[in-house]
Amino acid sequence: MNRYFKIRTVVFLWGVLIPLILNSESLDFMRNLGKIYVVYSVITIIFIGIILFLIRLERKISKIEKSLNNER
Amino acid sequence: MVSMSWWKWLTILLLLYVFYMGLTVPLKSGILDVNPLRFVCGQKVEIHVNAYNSFYTQSKSIRAYLKTSDSFLLKDTDVHIESDHRLKLTFELPDRLPNNNNISLASLIIDSEKDGTSVLPSKIVLIQDSINNQVNRITKGWYAGSKPEFTILSEFRFPFRNILYETIRNTFFHVSLWFSMFGLLLLSIYHSIRVLKKYNIEDDIKSYSLITVAILFGMLGIFTGSVWARFTWDTWWTNDIKLNMAALSMLIYLAYLILRANISDPDRRSKICAAYNIFALVAIIPLIFILPRLTDSLHPGNGGNPAFGSDDMDSSLRIVFYPAVIGFTLLAYWMSELLYRYFMVKEKWEELDS
Repeated sequence: MNRYFKIRTVVFLWGVLIPLILNSESLDFMRNLGKIYVVYSVITIIFIGIILFLIRLERKISKIEKSLNNER
Repeated sequence: MVSMSWWKWLTILLLLYVFYMGLTVPLKSGILDVNPLRFVCGQKVEIHVNAYNSFYTQSKSIRAYLKTSDSFLLKDTDVHIESDHRLKLTFELPDRLPNNNNISLASLIIDSEKDGTSVLPSKIVLIQDSINNQVNRITKGWYAGSKPEFTILSEFRFPFRNILYETIRNTFFHVSLWFSMFGLLLLSIYHSIRVLKKYNIEDDIKSYSLITVAILFGMLGIFTGSVWARFTWDTWWTNDIKLNMAALSMLIYLAYLILRANISDPDRRSKICAAYNIFALVAIIPLIFILPRLTDSLHPGNGGNPAFGSDDMDSSLRIVFYPAVIGFTLLAYWMSELLYRYFMVKEKWEELDS
């Protein structure tokens, strides 16, 4: 970690990387590609909600079926 | 598998159609941003345009117009195509704005033979410099009257809206959830009324299942709306009346669930819950439908317009949106039917057991 290396990293950080990040309003994940990822996340949320409902229902039915089988 | 009802197969078909169309149909091309945005009249100006979903290099002819708020048009003098998405337009702004206003907000219209017409509404500021009277008089002027022929694409595409961009596809998913929820709540009222007339366990459980699934869809609607808002309006929630009323409706129905859980006698429970259900629906109708139309807001369907006037819902969206509403409503009804069958089997089993 000599002095030359430190100067280079500081210059790269402040001269290139941070200005790039600060300047790019459309580089963050959700807003890129015309915000198509917002559509994907909405669909995923709906899908997860319905799947959770089905899983809960599945478990309740299995419990009853098991009890029915035990009765017999 | 074969013994599944016809409407369940219809649900699957409709939802497959909605997901396929909703995700693959491209958007019309549109204008993302324009640089610079502020001009003084009487000069020759260069505008850099950044566009979306455009193929300018494949287009045979591109025309650009500036349109003032009072509908005067000015045609470009030069269009330089830098890439598929970038243009450099040159306009010779006349000395005076039409109607001699001091300042005007102009829209930019770009008409491309391959991509159709794109509009960036009311973003460009034109300032009339009334001092600069003698120097550089430019004689080409604003014209009103017959509008030029704008290219209309024959391909099927969804409309391009600034701010929304691709998220306009969320209309098929987020909005359908609310329509489904309301459809289910209406059906649950029918069963609640029947229970009040004469107690029977079928109607009681049917209305309970319908409301449970309706609450699930309502909560999904709120979460998806929140995510949508975060990346278009830059906030997870806003003090918009429609949003607040939707949240309030959810609270009213969550209270129904709590009420249901706290009464043990089945006869009393069914009657009290049925009565609460009817009051709840009657309460949320003005909250969700009437109050938002009395005020202006960011959320579509307010400020005097019905929820889906020609402003919000293009005919290309309707082709996918109506099947989406039907598909999601049927899906919700299917889910509530499964819940109903579960509760009925549980009842029979508990009878057998005792």
